[in-house]
Formats: sequence, C-alpha cells, structure tokens
Amino acid sequence: MTTTYLAPTITREEDGRPASPVPAPKEVTVRPGPALLNGIEHGPSLAAHRAQYGPIPHLNSKQLTELVKRVQMRGRGGAAFPFAIKLETVLRGSRPVLVVNMSEGELASAKDHALALTRPHLVLDGVVATAKALRSRKIHVVLPGERPAAAAAMKRAIAERSDGVNIQTTTAASRFVAGQAKAVVELLSGRPNLPATSWAPEAVKGLKGRPTLLSNGETWARVGLLVLRGAEEYMSIGTPEEPGATLLTMNMPGSVPIVFEAAYGDRLRDYIPQDRHGLPAMVGGFHGAWATWETLASARVSVNKMRAMGNALGAGLVLSSPECPVTLTARTVEYLAGQSAQRCGPCFNGLPALAREVTAVHDGHGGLERIEQLANLVVRRGACAHPDGTVRLVNSMLSTFAEEVEAHAKGGCTLKHGSRKLVGDSFSRILEVA
Amino acid sequence: MAQVLRVDWPSCEARGLCHEVLPELVDLDEWGYPIVKGPVTKELMDHAKEAVKVCPRLALRIVEGR
Repeated sequence: MTTTYLAPTITREEDGRPASPVPAPKEVTVRPGPALLNGIEHGPSLAAHRAQYGPIPHLNSKQLTELVKRVQMRGRGGAAFPFAIKLETVLRGSRPVLVVNMSEGELASAKDHALALTRPHLVLDGVVATAKALRSRKIHVVLPGERPAAAAAMKRAIAERSDGVNIQTTTAASRFVAGQAKAVVELLSGRPNLPATSWAPEAVKGLKGRPTLLSNGETWARVGLLVLRGAEEYMSIGTPEEPGATLLTMNMPGSVPIVFEAAYGDRLRDYIPQDRHGLPAMVGGFHGAWATWETLASARVSVNKMRAMGNALGAGLVLSSPECPVTLTARTVEYLAGQSAQRCGPCFNGLPALAREVTAVHDGHGGLERIEQLANLVVRRGACAHPDGTVRLVNSMLSTFAEEVEAHAKGGCTLKHGSRKLVGDSFSRILEVA
Repeated sequence: MAQVLRVDWPSCEARGLCHEVLPELVDLDEWGYPIVKGPVTKELMDHAKEAVKVCPRLALRIVEGR
C-alpha cells in the first residue's frame, strides 16, 4: 500500500519566511521556585524587591570573582560557560562594558521573558553589582523585539532605579540569530543585528574593541541573588557538583508556556505535566536534540548528566508536542533555514537545501546520504553556530526516531494515517493523544 | 597550536581564488565556497600568504588555532 500525504504545513510571515513552529509567547505562566522565583507573589516593583532582599552589598572585583567561583556559576544561555572565566578575562582588560542580553530569540523559550515580568530587579542587581565591582559605568540591556510586554517591564524597572550607573536599553531584531553574542555586539555598535565573524571572544575584544561581559537575563539574576544572599544560601539547594537552581521553560504548542525553577539534580520528569508523560520532547530548543520519553523519564536537571546522555540542557527548554516528531522537525528546519542571516554562503545555500531534504524524508522520498552530505557542508562553516545547531536537531531526529523515519520512507507516517502500526514504545502515547 | 586558514564567512563571496592559489589546502564546495582541508604547513606557508593576499574580498586570514 502506498500512502501519499502532504508536506508539513508551513505557515509564512508577511516577508515570506516560514513562521516559527511556536509563536512568540504573549503570556507566560511563572511558577514560584526555590531561588530566583521565591516570593514572586509580591510583584516586580523595586519596593517589593528591596523589602525581600535589602540593598546591594558592595563587593570588589576580587570578592565577586571568589563568590562566583565558589558556587561554580555557569552561564544560563545554553553553553553553560563558567562565568568566572568571563569575569577574569574582562578584568585583564580595561574599561569593561556589561551587557544584559534579554533578546531571547528562541521563541519557544520564555525564561528571560518570565524574569522581566517577575524579577527584573534581580537581573539588574546582578549587573549593577558587577558594574560597581569592575568600576564600569555603562550597562547595556538588550530587549526582545518580539515580546513587547517583557521589554516594557524591563524599561519600567530600569526607570525605578538610581544606581549611579548609566543603563541604556536597545531593542533586538525579530530574528532567531539576533540574540547570538556577536550579533548583539553588532547591534550595540550601530550595525545590523546579525552575526559577524568573531576573531576574539567578546570578553577580550567586544563592543568598540573593549572587553565585554555579555550574559543573558537568567545568568545576571543568578549573580544578583548570589551577591544579595551569599554563597551559603545559593548552595543550599542543588548538588555539590552543580549547586543552585536553573529555569526551565515547558513549551506545549497551543498552550501558554510555563516557566519553572528546578534545583540541579531534580528529576526532569517532575517538571513535565502528567498528560505529556509518554511523549518524546525536543530538549534545549530548536538547536537542541530530541529525547524519547524513556530518556526524559530517567533524566536529571543537570548540565553534566544530560551532556553525558547526549542531550544538552541548553537554555532549559523542553518542547512537548503530540505532533509527529518528523513533521515537527521538518517544520522547524524550514523555519531555521528562513532565519539565516543570509550572510554566510554555506548557511544560506546549505540550510534551505537541508530543509528541502528533511521535508523530502518526511514525505517519504528523501535521501539520508544527502542529509549527511549537507550537514558536513554547513557545520563549522559560518560566523555563528546557527548551521551547527540546525544540524544537531536533524541528526537527533534521525537517531532518535530511526524507525519512524523509515516508516516515512515507506510512505506511511504511523501517526497521521491511523495505520496504528506502533513504531517504538514511545509512540503508543502519541497515538492515544493524536 | 598550528597555523590555520580561517574564512571570514560573511565576507566570502565564493570567488574561488584561494583554491586557484592553494589547491593543496582549499577545495571548493558545490556552491563555490572554500573547504579548508587542514593546517598550514611550513612548506605551504608562502602559498597560504599568497591566498590571503589575492582574496578580492579580504575574507581569509592565517590565525593560531586548530
């Protein structure tokens, strides 16, 4: 029996680019948590914030470095880069610039969005305390272009403060790659908000050639909490290897995304709603990797442990959909190809070709050899890691859903046509839901 | 650390002169963009410098790296 079926439905933006499989969230549900999200019921005002945390204690750069080292602070933007290394690097130069990157170009993620709405002053305390420790007088806050409520909340919070430090806001472009570190430096330099070749790390030579300490909202909020509450309290949750907590976005397309705060070491499954148990999920976002329910069920919220399992925690995004994962991957890759900055040849030629091929696999006539060939042609051949992240998602689909991909090649998506042929245990649940 | 050729991808426009000058180290992909095959050896350093110089887009550099 041959079944033919339609290509994945691609909706398009006004400019013709494929739309994100998940739109920018208009609302976010934020659950109280053990650290940053403790006390959010008192609201985001500066008065409520000071009532809970008191004034910012003054630290010098040595004390700040010791603190972030002691708690093994790592960036929460996805790469989990040790914050102390960035800090020590900018300290070796002169007149550092500090940047709070709240652009959150990954539309399925909503954690910095959640912080803007509930905890803007923790973010700002983190960067202001650091500015004072580093004797830096200029802070840039980059606001998301596609989340007006979050941008307005940050502006309101900045207007409430008088820190004796100049805080300037800039709004990022509406593009997936706009939040990439070098693209943000380009934006702040007055050029298009797009990735460019970085010949040295931003912490060495960033904005106007000056050492630039750039981190996302959550990272700065963690620094803020650490400075306000001290290392003991920071390390009172989490594990000895990974002290503290991290934000997770649970995104279920069609519903309002939920932001949780999990202590490191917690079971990941406890943050996945019951009715999604049994489903696979995209972990780490559109540049992340698919995980089966079996993997999700045994996973701990841990940068190290998830890396060892082959699934990066990334920026803490878990995307769960009852849609066929091959279909969702094809739509996502079409979207990511359209998000190329159109600057690097291998990316603007390779990603659309890759998207066509993944769609062809979805439609039952794609070639896996061609996917592998294209993957090799785009990886590590661009100014940013957009092609690399896109390939990671495609590869994870191929390895996680090998049987389902094979079913597509034979012309029968087991999820779409009710053929009821189960492909792998993890799909039994999808069939019930779909 | 070895000396390597790095491409400034946003500047590169697939003119292909690097491949003309340095076929030992630079292949071209199906769209004409350079594929750097390995580090710059001592023997090839002069040719590599020439490749950097002739690039009409100034999109090649020799840097320390892997």
